[in-house]
Amino acid sequence: MLEILEDNWLLFLIGQYPHGPVGGLAMTLLLAAAGLSLSFPVAIALALARLSARRWLRGPATAVVYIVRGLPLIMFIFWTYFALPLLIGHTVGGVETLLFALIVYEASYLSEIIRAGIEGLPKGQVEAAKALGLGYFPTTFKIILPQVLHNMMPSLVRQFVSTIKETSLGYVISANEVTFAASQVNNQLMTQPFEVYGLLALTYFTLCFTLTSAARWLERRLTAERGGLGAQPA
Amino acid sequence: MIRFESVEKWFGQHQVLAGVTGEVKRGEVVTLLGSSGSGKSTLIRAVTRLEAIQGGQVLFEGADVAGRGVDINRLRQRVGFVFQAFNLFPHLTVLGNITLGLERLRKMGKAAARDRAMSELDRVSLADKADALPSRLSGGQRQRVAIARALAMDPDVMLFDEPTSALDPEMVNEVLRVMRTLAQDGMTMVVVTHEIGFAREVADTVWFLDKGRIVESGAPAEVLDDPRHDRLRSFLSRAR
Repeated sequence: MLEILEDNWLLFLIGQYPHGPVGGLAMTLLLAAAGLSLSFPVAIALALARLSARRWLRGPATAVVYIVRGLPLIMFIFWTYFALPLLIGHTVGGVETLLFALIVYEASYLSEIIRAGIEGLPKGQVEAAKALGLGYFPTTFKIILPQVLHNMMPSLVRQFVSTIKETSLGYVISANEVTFAASQVNNQLMTQPFEVYGLLALTYFTLCFTLTSAARWLERRLTAERGGLGAQPA
Repeated sequence: MIRFESVEKWFGQHQVLAGVTGEVKRGEVVTLLGSSGSGKSTLIRAVTRLEAIQGGQVLFEGADVAGRGVDINRLRQRVGFVFQAFNLFPHLTVLGNITLGLERLRKMGKAAARDRAMSELDRVSLADKADALPSRLSGGQRQRVAIARALAMDPDVMLFDEPTSALDPEMVNEVLRVMRTLAQDGMTMVVVTHEIGFAREVADTVWFLDKGRIVESGAPAEVLDDPRHDRLRSFLSRAR
């Protein structure tokens, strides 16, 4: 196992870079980070639309979220893989395809986290903003969202963890992330699948476990903040 | 300045306001007394449409607050509102709580907004807490900041919804002191409270609400010392 690692650690870490495209774990992290951050504005828009008093905003947004949440990610990857080139008229690489599918998928899940956060804020916050004479946009962007995003930091880290795991599906469309790198190594070696995929598992686990622990730590800090010295009565 | 005309409000089947008529004049301090559920909070919340009403009208300076063409946000800037639960913005400093409205709504520059906020904080004796987060303040201090936040908008009238009910007894006085000074300075105020002493001392008029109606109103001396209704009599005896 150590030997495999010695021979291939660079491929695992960054793929063929600098002789070829970035790949491996670096691409996995890049994809997860880009997928989550690009889906963020979409998620905020979806969440606000779902909470809107206007039915023509609420209806479609709710439909999108329900549909996406009712389908497995691999479906979106296939759909994007086959449909996106037709729509834009030229071929799309595996990484771009995966990124696009991730944005659509994560936006729906994130929007639910954001929506729950908005609904969980004490009602008095919105009332105080209204009473001051603040309109919808300043209330949303100066009062509500800053608090919601602060409160949802742990959930955000958890969502990052599941996004990291989801990028492994990029393997089926040859997006060269870390699972793809591992399978390349496996194809070369032919005889040591347990060792190779064991290393892969260890990589994912270390990463995800560390991040999940960070999420727990964040959560404890937030709880202390809320319950500690002079939390505001609801 | 504020007129209530046969104001009615239901929560589902339950009628909270059953035809309230009354007027608050400029410079007047009106306190609303009544047991919980009598509709007094709902009544003042209706002034800035934090609560919608189903019958009657609320007029602010002669105009229906629910009328067409009323810019509700503009109206709310002229009516200060102080909540029982303070409702400070926890992610902003004390100063930030006050400057937000000044910068966003009064379109003041940063420096001007800061100066204005500091002078309001001075008025409630909390200038030294300007950079603290609300979570670092006591309840009484928070409510004083909330009052300063409302005053900074330079309102024509201040509405108080049980401003001392969420406070520990030893903090009630610091808030009442601020309100008393405000009244002496001539601010028009409507105060929902259980502090009979405050009503007696500061109010020009006391309204006693019961089951969504004003059943007794007048100068504190006549209403509080010579109550005509049994409900008010028993309310006052319980409050003492």
